[in-house]
Amino acid sequence: MSDRRGSERGYAFALPRVVAHLAGGKVRRAELSGAEAYGVGILVFGISCVWAGCALLSLVRPLPLRLFFLILLPVGIWVAFLILYYLVSLVIALCRRLGLYPPVTNNPFQHVAIMSLTTLLASLLLRDECAWVKSLGILWLGLLGLNLLAVVWLSLVREG
Amino acid sequence: MSQAWWRRFAVRGVFWRHYLDFGVTNVPFYLRPVMIFFWTIFFFFFAGPARRAILSNLKVVLPGSSPLLNQARAWLTLYHFAWTIADAADYKLAKTEFAYELEGEEFLEQLASGPGAILLTAHMGSYDLGAAVFAERFQREIRMVRAPEADAETARHLDQSLERAGAGAVKVAYNVSSMALPLELLNAIRAGEIVSIQGDRPVPNASQRTVGLFGKIVSLPDGPFMLAFVTEAPIFPVFIVRSSFHHYKIIARPPICCGRTERDREAVIEEAMQAWTKTLEQIVAAHWSQWFSLVPIFE
Repeated sequence: MSDRRGSERGYAFALPRVVAHLAGGKVRRAELSGAEAYGVGILVFGISCVWAGCALLSLVRPLPLRLFFLILLPVGIWVAFLILYYLVSLVIALCRRLGLYPPVTNNPFQHVAIMSLTTLLASLLLRDECAWVKSLGILWLGLLGLNLLAVVWLSLVREG
Repeated sequence: MSQAWWRRFAVRGVFWRHYLDFGVTNVPFYLRPVMIFFWTIFFFFFAGPARRAILSNLKVVLPGSSPLLNQARAWLTLYHFAWTIADAADYKLAKTEFAYELEGEEFLEQLASGPGAILLTAHMGSYDLGAAVFAERFQREIRMVRAPEADAETARHLDQSLERAGAGAVKVAYNVSSMALPLELLNAIRAGEIVSIQGDRPVPNASQRTVGLFGKIVSLPDGPFMLAFVTEAPIFPVFIVRSSFHHYKIIARPPICCGRTERDREAVIEEAMQAWTKTLEQIVAAHWSQWFSLVPIFE
């Protein structure tokens, strides 16, 4: 727990930390930003939904069925995420047994798995004919690239 | 096995507590808003009695409010509840950083620096997290009195969680119908400890008396006031509310004095309870979506 005084802000990702730093103001690495959490979460979940929606629409033709599945899609993706967490946790348990994964929580491994999956789905969206779907893929890959650049920049200026 | 296996999966069963622990150690922070959103929808339908209790309380706290809008408010209350228990689990398991601000800091300083006192609070915000924060920030041990859990395994799990989050500085005592607890609390206050009690809903078989709250007559526990009367310890109303993602606000109000005077005991206790309900009304009216009194108070 930290006692919040002054205008100190905390972001987990490097990109918002660099942006905040360039805009002036004290910033550090911490999971304290609601905008960051909600923004990235909605984007990750949204990309999965859009990818699954595109796949579904190519398989299902009748309009009422399409509507039905599209309404149920977010719930289906939520359940798919729950299953994914469980499956990845099994992999982590195996890695722990082999002494390959020492961190206390599974979050870092899950983060890498989810980011990799989202990047894969965003790359697949680039192939779509629909412009906005394609632009969603570009947005993700662009943000990912900028975040990696921000990581490099922060390591050069020795900020964690 | 003392209870049927399926009871583990009931809303208050231990399964969901274990699942929450799994969630906070496996779901990256940025996916929690989405996950909690859907879990809240699930529990909005699955936890029918809790939802109905919130609706029944909202009807009184927000008079004249639309029943349809109150359904959305009940969902929001459950959403905040999900966040607060998730954050408490996160703090316990991963020692995740949370930011907090203080309102009425002078009263908290007074509470922490004085001898034995009663911290009177409500089922609001992250009560568990608040106790751990208080113990850590002010380096004081705190004894929390809780209503007993319906499920024994859940109770054990919660005890362990609280003691773990408070790094040994938070002790849990259960409000059951025995004479042992009042004596234990009396001795604790006299020994200079801080005793934290939730005073916003009665516990079956525990001492209570009627008082006005939001224009209705309700029964509230009078145990904290009796303790204050006997020990002459001040009562500090303290609440913790969630202000935004990983941000909390600890609200402390001026202490309520309930010590011995020339007047008779009943009058002193009644006056102190009225002061408490006035404070409670102000806080609940301002933070109705974080009043997790999941039983109908006004019926």
